[in-house]
Amino acid sequence: MTARLSSSIRDRVARIKITPAIPAVLLPLLKLFNVPAEQADVGEIVRLVSYDNAIAAQCLRVAGSPLFGLARPPQSISGAVVSLGLNRVKSIVVTCCMGQVFPVKRWALPPVVFWRHSLGCALVCRKFSEKLANVDGEKAYVAGLLHDVGFLVNCIAFPDQFEAAIKRASKEQVPLDEAERGTMGFTHCQTGEILGQQWGLADEIVEVMAHHHDLEYRGKAQGLVAIVHLSDLLCRMRSLGYGYYERQKVDMTHDPAWGALVKEHGELEGIDLVRFTFELDEAMNDIRDLVSLAFGTGQSEI
Amino acid sequence: MMPLAQNEAAAGPAPRVSGPVDPAYRQIRDLVYNVSGIYQLEEKLYLLGEACARRMKEVGVAAPRDYWETLTAVASQESELRNLLNEITIGETCLFRSQPQIDALRRVIVPEFLGQTGRQAVKKLRLWSAGCSTGEEAYTLAMSMLEESEGPLKNWGVEIVATDLNDRSVETAQAGIYGDYALRNTADHFKRKYFVPVGGGKFQVRPEVRNIVWFSRLNLKEDSAISGVEGVDVIFCCNVLIYFDGPSKSRVVERFFNNLNLGGYFFLGPSESLFRLNDRFHLVHFPGTVGYWKPARKSGKP
Repeated sequence: MTARLSSSIRDRVARIKITPAIPAVLLPLLKLFNVPAEQADVGEIVRLVSYDNAIAAQCLRVAGSPLFGLARPPQSISGAVVSLGLNRVKSIVVTCCMGQVFPVKRWALPPVVFWRHSLGCALVCRKFSEKLANVDGEKAYVAGLLHDVGFLVNCIAFPDQFEAAIKRASKEQVPLDEAERGTMGFTHCQTGEILGQQWGLADEIVEVMAHHHDLEYRGKAQGLVAIVHLSDLLCRMRSLGYGYYERQKVDMTHDPAWGALVKEHGELEGIDLVRFTFELDEAMNDIRDLVSLAFGTGQSEI
Repeated sequence: MMPLAQNEAAAGPAPRVSGPVDPAYRQIRDLVYNVSGIYQLEEKLYLLGEACARRMKEVGVAAPRDYWETLTAVASQESELRNLLNEITIGETCLFRSQPQIDALRRVIVPEFLGQTGRQAVKKLRLWSAGCSTGEEAYTLAMSMLEESEGPLKNWGVEIVATDLNDRSVETAQAGIYGDYALRNTADHFKRKYFVPVGGGKFQVRPEVRNIVWFSRLNLKEDSAISGVEGVDVIFCCNVLIYFDGPSKSRVVERFFNNLNLGGYFFLGPSESLFRLNDRFHLVHFPGTVGYWKPARKSGKP
């Protein structure tokens, strides 16, 4: 991408006005992922979330999803922190906020498809992380949830071009980033990165937004980027993709990201990937329900 | 807004079961998986429960917990597990049973083969339905490949080798006569194009389909018999290896690997896994299904 093109994209992304009320909770929370959990100000987070009744109520409902580990919704945000831990509550709040942040008018890709992919990826990232030693599962969750936010940026800032890219992808049955590159000359990775920087998100999360399709990436967030890259691929092969048939085969254990991850985490070699895949299928109904709860995108849209 | 593609991957919502599942069924599920490689999704545990209930009645135990004891008791474990596997897989066979596998074959694998100079030179494809039972899978493959012969595979020679241990199954398969139950997944246009009604609500596969399928009796445990089926491009072996013990399973899979042409594929049943049985195959994900790939080159790059 030329410097001129890059700066014009940056300008258009900068003009996106996110809904003003929500970031009061969301942005400070996202920044907290730079801070170790024990240093986070729990009272401040509970106060921030509880301040917004609608978000707080939604968080409590979401906390009752089997995917977040509680049999019944907790009574209060502070109760949720006690039962689920601060990190998981952060994930829940970020999930609930995300659905309301973007003023998308023209959804080039159905919202239910986008959120299922993002949420599915978030959950797979967390599940992957649970198999690995010393990986922060909730950070991986948020990275998975946000990795494709560039698509929403594209819906808002480049609606015509992005629509053309999606049409091309579904017609040719190719990966969406490939179609974006061919049609627009840039991808959601670049627009996501710009937004992430403007929001001042944690560096690792921005790296994930920028590089989750980059097989050569060897930067400081390599492990997290690899987890998101692989989870994204798995979701796309398991009915949590972009809503069309992607004509490809995915050889996960011979992907460079897998190789990079195995170097750090030898335990990865012991994963029964087929069973892991079946377990993702098992979570499918819960994922659909959670998408309806968190993003208000009902089953009727399918 | 773009509509959701109908054919996007497999795992749709399954009917829910109300009430808690007896934990013994999860233990039985894991036992079945560890021994046979066949996995029962959580949401389909009720099917496992039903299969167990039929067996429990037969062997005269009342509680799932007691049945688990029967399955793990040294004296009866092998025979009773086999009976249970029979119950689990009974009635599963039908034409077009696994659409994601057929899609992978037609939309990903055939185009890949078409792009390979070695295969282009001979213009021949050989598929093997190993453990074909009464022929449903073999005819499904034959019809799918005949469809391809009208387009991309024009002027290619395609043959389907179909083998089973059971003589009577092979005879039934050769006749190619099916009723509504076996045809429940068969699209109307396939029925019109490839079947003739033979009375009594039955339909027979047309000769042009039967002409490309070669049925014979074969015991997969006999090495010499297997080695006769060489130069195969894709092998389908669904719900057969589940009955084999570990070493026999490994040996058969090794044979399959040797019998496949370079770049060939091997598919198991949709809920089976090959974990730790063979490290020469690459596990590959296609939309909605997994397969095993014999690398085209020694480097192992997909």
